[in-house]
Amino acid sequence: MELKKKEILRYLGYNSQKIDSQTNILINESIKEVQGLLHKYYIYKIFDIEKNHTKIHLKNTHIFLEGKDIYKHLFQSEKCVILAVTLGNIIDQKIRYYSKVSLSKSLIFDACATTAIEAITDSIEEEIIAYAKENNFYTTYRYSPGYGDFPLSIQPEILKILDAHGKIGLISTPDFLLLPRKSVTAIIGLQKNPISKYLRSCKNCNLYHTCTYKKEGNHCEHKRINQ
Amino acid sequence: MNIKELTSKKFVFFDGAMGTMLQAAGLGIGENPESYNLLHPNIIFDIHKKYIDAGADIITTNTFGANSYKLKDSPYSVETIISSAVSIAKKASESKLVALDMGPIGQLLEPMGTLTFHDAYEIFKEQVIIGEKSGADILLLETLSDLYEAKAAILAAKENSSLPVFCTMTFQENGRTLTGTTPETMVHVLEGLGVDALGINCSLGPKEIMPLVERILKVANVPVMIQPNAGLPKLINGETVFDLTPDNFSKEIQALSALGISIIGGCCGTNPAFIKAVKDSLKNLSPVKTNPVKNTTVCSSTKTIVIGDGVKIIGERINPTGKKKLKAALKENALDYVLSEAIKQKEAGADILDVNIGLPEINEIETMTKIIKEIQSIMDLPLQIDSANPKVIEAGVRIYNGKPIINSVNGKKESMEAIFPIAKKYGACVIGLTLDEKGIPHTAEERVQITEKILHTAKLYGIPKENILIDCLVLTASAQQKEVLETLKAIRLVKEKFGVKTVLGVSNVSFGLPQRKLLTRTFLAMSLSYGLDAPIMDPLVEENIETIDTFHVLTNHDEGSKKYTNRYRKEVKKEVPVNQVEKTLKEIIIDGIKDEAALKTKELLKTLDPITIVNNYLIPALDTVGDQFEKEIIFLPQLIRSAETVKSSFEVIKEHLRTTGNTNITKGKIILATVKGDIHDIGKNIVKVLLENYGFHILDLGKDVPIETVVKTAKEQNIKLIGLSALMTTTVKNMEETIKSIRKNNIDCKVFVGGAVLTKEYANMIGADYYCKDARESVTIAQKIFDI
Repeated sequence: MELKKKEILRYLGYNSQKIDSQTNILINESIKEVQGLLHKYYIYKIFDIEKNHTKIHLKNTHIFLEGKDIYKHLFQSEKCVILAVTLGNIIDQKIRYYSKVSLSKSLIFDACATTAIEAITDSIEEEIIAYAKENNFYTTYRYSPGYGDFPLSIQPEILKILDAHGKIGLISTPDFLLLPRKSVTAIIGLQKNPISKYLRSCKNCNLYHTCTYKKEGNHCEHKRINQ
Repeated sequence: MNIKELTSKKFVFFDGAMGTMLQAAGLGIGENPESYNLLHPNIIFDIHKKYIDAGADIITTNTFGANSYKLKDSPYSVETIISSAVSIAKKASESKLVALDMGPIGQLLEPMGTLTFHDAYEIFKEQVIIGEKSGADILLLETLSDLYEAKAAILAAKENSSLPVFCTMTFQENGRTLTGTTPETMVHVLEGLGVDALGINCSLGPKEIMPLVERILKVANVPVMIQPNAGLPKLINGETVFDLTPDNFSKEIQALSALGISIIGGCCGTNPAFIKAVKDSLKNLSPVKTNPVKNTTVCSSTKTIVIGDGVKIIGERINPTGKKKLKAALKENALDYVLSEAIKQKEAGADILDVNIGLPEINEIETMTKIIKEIQSIMDLPLQIDSANPKVIEAGVRIYNGKPIINSVNGKKESMEAIFPIAKKYGACVIGLTLDEKGIPHTAEERVQITEKILHTAKLYGIPKENILIDCLVLTASAQQKEVLETLKAIRLVKEKFGVKTVLGVSNVSFGLPQRKLLTRTFLAMSLSYGLDAPIMDPLVEENIETIDTFHVLTNHDEGSKKYTNRYRKEVKKEVPVNQVEKTLKEIIIDGIKDEAALKTKELLKTLDPITIVNNYLIPALDTVGDQFEKEIIFLPQLIRSAETVKSSFEVIKEHLRTTGNTNITKGKIILATVKGDIHDIGKNIVKVLLENYGFHILDLGKDVPIETVVKTAKEQNIKLIGLSALMTTTVKNMEETIKSIRKNNIDCKVFVGGAVLTKEYANMIGADYYCKDARESVTIAQKIFDI
């Protein structure tokens, strides 16, 4: 699995500063180490959906996806894919280890791991897109709990319908944090019409005022995918 | 019920998947399967009946998720679900046995998650008590992927019931559980805890588990059970599909049965047809007797070390005897220092770490359990738990996630009576010291006699001799010169006579003589040639490691001398930098070169006093780096590396102050905490390093910190500044609650907050005094509050 240095630097708050050789070595070493520890634990299921006023219902389940943004996201979809991915506990243990050995190393290692989980999720998304194509569907971009007004509190439900704990060891804490830490859950809509090419602007995002990426003069995964 | 006897003559059959059957009967996705015990008992009854008709000897209750965590939002209690499930199964069972099914809790245990070992134990305990009361015949712990959770479950089962305990874990295609446990480690730990049968279930099909089953059978002394899926699950179009037919499944099981398994059932995708096919295909066969290897093993949760397979180093540095710094760290609860000792030893080549924290001034039980938890959260070296107090040993062995060594027992009756029950109950290895009521014998032969007594008594407690390591005890060459050779002879005799493994604290030999390293190294080489398996020593003393590396070459343990060549060829090649322009301490810090900073600081201390170095070198360097960070000339990893470099300078200065008896140079005490519910603490750690470098004394309360802890510490320590961190929107509310509670308790202090999702406006809204946009700003805030 290739880990793009540009992405790693983005997570480290890089903004065209001069990278000294020692930092460069640390990044290269960490990339190799993370690559050596990578496991692709993932699970997804496809659900038929029905729209119920402002909510999206996953058929044959008790789950309603609530919020204007997820509604907009799946507005034209007939089905949706619910996806969960994790790098597992070994990466978490390594991050804990490095945080005691060298904070700068753990910071870089952490950024490499974040890049890895994104890259792995991208590859699974490719698989889903291929499936969709075969079945004459177009896919929406992937949307995760916590984006816009789609609440994180949906995490336990999502994990439950995927049996994510049993299958890939992924859980949500009472505060809806995913554990192991390098994990993603996401929803991808499947629709008959091509999705509109409109680029979602940062201003429309509900996180506009608190966005970490914007604070750093950057932008999120969400926007990157759409560019 | 004697499971071993039961499985020695014939195969024992479990049922197949309950979930698969329930889905076929209409169970919806995400619906609670256990509610069927009350809503549709007839469906459950029918499923049991079908499995009995198919030939199952043991049926499993519909209680996989019947624990208080998973049922917290359910209208049914654990008691209602379990008692109804057992009652349905008993009704259906006729003469068959009923196993209470207990799956994973559904939360991750510390340190992966937030559930404590104790809470996990309590959750399982409730199930066990209700299950036994309801009439279950067996406790089946299954589909576990975390060894620590399995340990909590087994202890809960053994301590609260007299039923047989079966435990199976789920493995991935890479041959490990999701949390990294290998098949061998699982066997060593679970068997040690006293399970009646163990094995693999779920996740993979019979063919895929074959290599894992082979590995299990090589080491297991209890019956091995398997409950594979109906093939390797494949994700096709978003659905999990199993591709084996009952016929294929039974053929693959037949191949497995020839290896020595004796208990068979099915998991996901299997139904009564699968069980029937398996039973039919094995009807004329009996379980194959296995011949497991008897090794002396110790394990962390992910690693098994075989003692006797080359020389294994037991690191001795976590022991306060004669170590002022470690004593101080233990008294101040400065666990980072203890962890750094663990890390140093691991990096230097230790295979096992001895943990001894015996200090009269501290609560040894509390500290021991805390340190074990911390070490096992960051590394995979097995531990040796060392204390003179059996209560401390038991607390340590209980909380340990693996199979530890207990240091130690001796030939005194009292010692054996106190320690052997612990070693037996938790399946730990134990070091037997060759001394008894009469003291340390002078001759090798007498030490052999004590060994015999120890091994004999251990056997009476049911402890196999593989779990005993003998320490023939070394005396100092300066005082008892004649006896040094007796120790070596004893090693040889003990090994020859009993075939047990040996340990020895080698450095004791050189007390009181000059050139201790030389004597220790030579004695180490001699002991190894007499058969010492695991020296207890300081791995940071390079000469010791060199001796062992050489020994491995000369005894053919380092095949092709590969390790030796790699290591020592490199050393020859090590280039000495020439004509390097000497850097100032400030430049060294800006460049972030830790080792050089320490050396340079030592040099400066010869002519300058510590405060001058701090004020004229360290702080200006940090300011420069801070400025460069703000102006975006450097970025975060570089800022942090410089901060860590300053830290290594500080260490030298602090050490200097300690030796010169000077007082510390703290500029003020600050609490830092990542708030309750939040476990991402990298941001807080960065702030901590920076603030410490500017001379502030940081009370780091860690992550997921309860509100009361912040308030209590602030009160007790009369704190003027508190820094709180939260990374998630969901935990910012806990930040607000923490601030509210600080105010409500009238603590006269300022609070600064930081974290990814916070803004200045939000910080104001939740009542913080300062918003800290990055780590660097925390320094400005602290300087303002303490008027520096």
